[in-house]
Amino acid sequence: MSEIDSTYLMAFFRLAGERLEEQRQTLCSLDGEIGDGDHGTSMANGFAAINARLRDLSAEPAPPARLLREAASAFIGEVGATVGPLYATGLLQGAAMLEEGPLDARQLGDLLAAFARGIAMRGKAGIGDKTMLDAWLPASHAAQRVAAEGGSPAEIARAAAEAAEAGAAATTSLIASRGRAARLKERSIGHPDPGAVSASLIIGAFAESREELD
Amino acid sequence: MGQPRKRVSKESRSGRAPLRFGDDPLLWASWLYYQEGLTQGEIADELGISRPTVNSYLADARAKGIVNISISEARLRAVTIAQALEAQFGLESCLVVPGEGGPRPLIDRLGAAAAQSLGSHLHSGDTVAITWGRTMLALAEAVSGTEARDLVVVQATGGTTATIPYTPEACATRLAENTGARFVPISAPAIVSSSEAREILLREPVIAEQLAQLDRVTCVLFGISSMRPDATIHTSGFFDSALKNKGYFDNAVGAMMGRFIDAQGAAIPSPLDDRVMGMELDRLRQVPRRILVAGGLDKVPPILAALRGGFVSTLITDATTGEGILRAEGFEPEKIAPKRRAPTPSEPALTRSDHVKKFINRPKDAVDEALTGALAAFPEHIEPIGGSLRAIRARADKRDGKVGVVIGGGAGHEPGFIGFVGRGLADAVVVGNVFASPPPDRILSCTRDADQGAGVLYIYGNYTGDVMNFDMAADMAAAEGIEARTILTTDDIASAGADERAARRGTAGNIFVFKVAGAAAARMLPLDECERLARKANAACYTIGAALEPSSMPDTGRRSFSLGPDDMEFGVGVHGEPGVSRIPLQSADRIVDRIVDRIFDEMRPGEGGKLAVLVNSLGGTPMMELFILNRRLMQRLSARSVDVHTTLLGHYFTSLDMVGASITLMALDEELAGLLDDPCNGFAWMKQGR
Repeated sequence: MSEIDSTYLMAFFRLAGERLEEQRQTLCSLDGEIGDGDHGTSMANGFAAINARLRDLSAEPAPPARLLREAASAFIGEVGATVGPLYATGLLQGAAMLEEGPLDARQLGDLLAAFARGIAMRGKAGIGDKTMLDAWLPASHAAQRVAAEGGSPAEIARAAAEAAEAGAAATTSLIASRGRAARLKERSIGHPDPGAVSASLIIGAFAESREELD
Repeated sequence: MGQPRKRVSKESRSGRAPLRFGDDPLLWASWLYYQEGLTQGEIADELGISRPTVNSYLADARAKGIVNISISEARLRAVTIAQALEAQFGLESCLVVPGEGGPRPLIDRLGAAAAQSLGSHLHSGDTVAITWGRTMLALAEAVSGTEARDLVVVQATGGTTATIPYTPEACATRLAENTGARFVPISAPAIVSSSEAREILLREPVIAEQLAQLDRVTCVLFGISSMRPDATIHTSGFFDSALKNKGYFDNAVGAMMGRFIDAQGAAIPSPLDDRVMGMELDRLRQVPRRILVAGGLDKVPPILAALRGGFVSTLITDATTGEGILRAEGFEPEKIAPKRRAPTPSEPALTRSDHVKKFINRPKDAVDEALTGALAAFPEHIEPIGGSLRAIRARADKRDGKVGVVIGGGAGHEPGFIGFVGRGLADAVVVGNVFASPPPDRILSCTRDADQGAGVLYIYGNYTGDVMNFDMAADMAAAEGIEARTILTTDDIASAGADERAARRGTAGNIFVFKVAGAAAARMLPLDECERLARKANAACYTIGAALEPSSMPDTGRRSFSLGPDDMEFGVGVHGEPGVSRIPLQSADRIVDRIVDRIFDEMRPGEGGKLAVLVNSLGGTPMMELFILNRRLMQRLSARSVDVHTTLLGHYFTSLDMVGASITLMALDEELAGLLDDPCNGFAWMKQGR
């Protein structure tokens, strides 16, 4: 049955890591335009650290909540930076949701909402602030909506991915109000937020790994 | 491919293709290049077109499938397997010898391949450990010279029975001879008869000195033995059949360096452990380059175990074994296909996308290598905390009841942060990746180290990431009963208006805050007082930076934003980001005027007021130009009749290689001036007491 279990999460992290590695330079270039140019490095190295940690764990199958907690600790330990605490907090909120065991695959939206809640809590940002939340929040809402309409796990995941991509693209027209890009004020308009772009790659990996497993 | 023929044919020069090419210039150019072996220049002459056009014809011909380049099936397979092994086990590199090897035995082919790739693994000054066995001897014998100098080759273990030709001594001696290295033996048996015997031998100065070489090993070449009855481990004297019968090794799948591991790569403890003279498995994992050379289907389980255990950074094996490892790991053979890159969207157009040359090795090692070099350069000022390069303390006596000062942030500001640790400055510094905050656990270890029971001050620039990580660390410290208070430096007045000072970022001015806080703590003032003075120092600092060229990250090697030839950025920070506004390039004096006007607007220094001045390079601007800036700055300050109490000029807080400078003015009263005058001893700021 389709579940959000350890197998799915392992596949997700591996795919997300690959996608981020492929886009490492692009993300750095995007970040260079409005930030300090290290976003691709942080994200690709961070997910590589997660995958290395999970590989070490894979001797015995870890429960999904433990997997997310280990991912959080590996990520923040590797990158620090701004994304370190944000993603670590998001992953820990996600872990709390999985404490009872795997979720039904139709609850993907709830898991994404938990990630988004953690990120918002730590970063004190909201939708429209030109941050990664502009991908995470629409994705969680879209997934929850399609689930309520009775969509299949694959449809739910695809809806999340599409909403994340649209959200990331829409940050181009926003003015940054959080993080270093906020110093640029109106000069930040016209560039997509690199954090939202990497978030859409990550959310895309949720959909892609669902297709791979089904 | 045909023999290249020098010729200019009669049918050429017209630019029209001979009939047989069907009027297709792509096919014509491809034929001349691939079939007749002409150079691109010769083809250009032949076709009557330019060389770049030939080049693009050839590229088009490949894109359109007119020319297909095929790689031998067996070789492609080997590369594909190597790629899959690298990805699956997080290897730095993997070399797979193709399956078709002719009549040569596998061990010789592996040895030769490993010997050939050694050039890329050995660097001058390396200490290389080598184990023993047939593959290792084949490797050592196949090596013929190396470009690396000052090598030391050491046996990874003591000696074994001499009834085999591939003893540890033989392998190491041969490798040393063939690389011109100094040879260090281990003058003891690999397995001694009892742990008491080992203790006695360890007390022998000669043996202790030899074994100490193993702690310096930077590259280890090792083989692995299976546990099958015909494996060399049984004939080496490493194995004690009495122990075998007691079931100690029931779970063992392989052995390396006389130590046994299970299927997951965990060490199997046995009474033998106390009797082995040689490198330990935990130590093996810490060696930077760990090259396993092994092949043969019987070695699939031990190699897989070594990979899982994290013992290997480079694997050299053969295609059949490599495929076996992947299968054992759950790969289906048909899924092991060459990995194609996902199409990358075109990069944002940068007007200056040219690569910036740097003195670096691997970009990802840049920060650690820089810190290693800094620690080696300034051992009287700084030392690592608990072996971490990223958590560093002042080399100074600790005093009970002194407030601890912890500073830190991303790397890339050198001498920023680490140069301001020392007596009278900060007690500890936390270093992150380039321009990225360090994570909380590292900050916590600095906090613990700096705490002398009087609390700790965190002082760092006001950036979202740093605030989150330091706040998390402060929470963790509080849980351990250490009070950590935070001072965010906010001296960059270009970054936000005077009405929102708390939103400003911290730049070069933060070194004055480190100094004042460090001096206050050194005077043994209590936490409240240290905090008050640090806040006062921060409020007194006004900085503005200007950049002429953007900086480039070690990871990308490219300029992080684009700047036209006649433009400059005003109000830049210290993270390579663009400034607050882009303005036309101006002369040095006009730039100083613009900065000083903006600072005076807000600072309003009164006549006779006292200032500290910092003229700081952002990395790429030479001192000569800083002097030119300072000349104008002094003219402006004397016109205002303010008294310059202290001037610092040079590289104090940089933004990698950004070409640019910042000016900081700090308004002083007697209290702040006195603290600035106190002695201090950081490698970037040394001051004798007055």
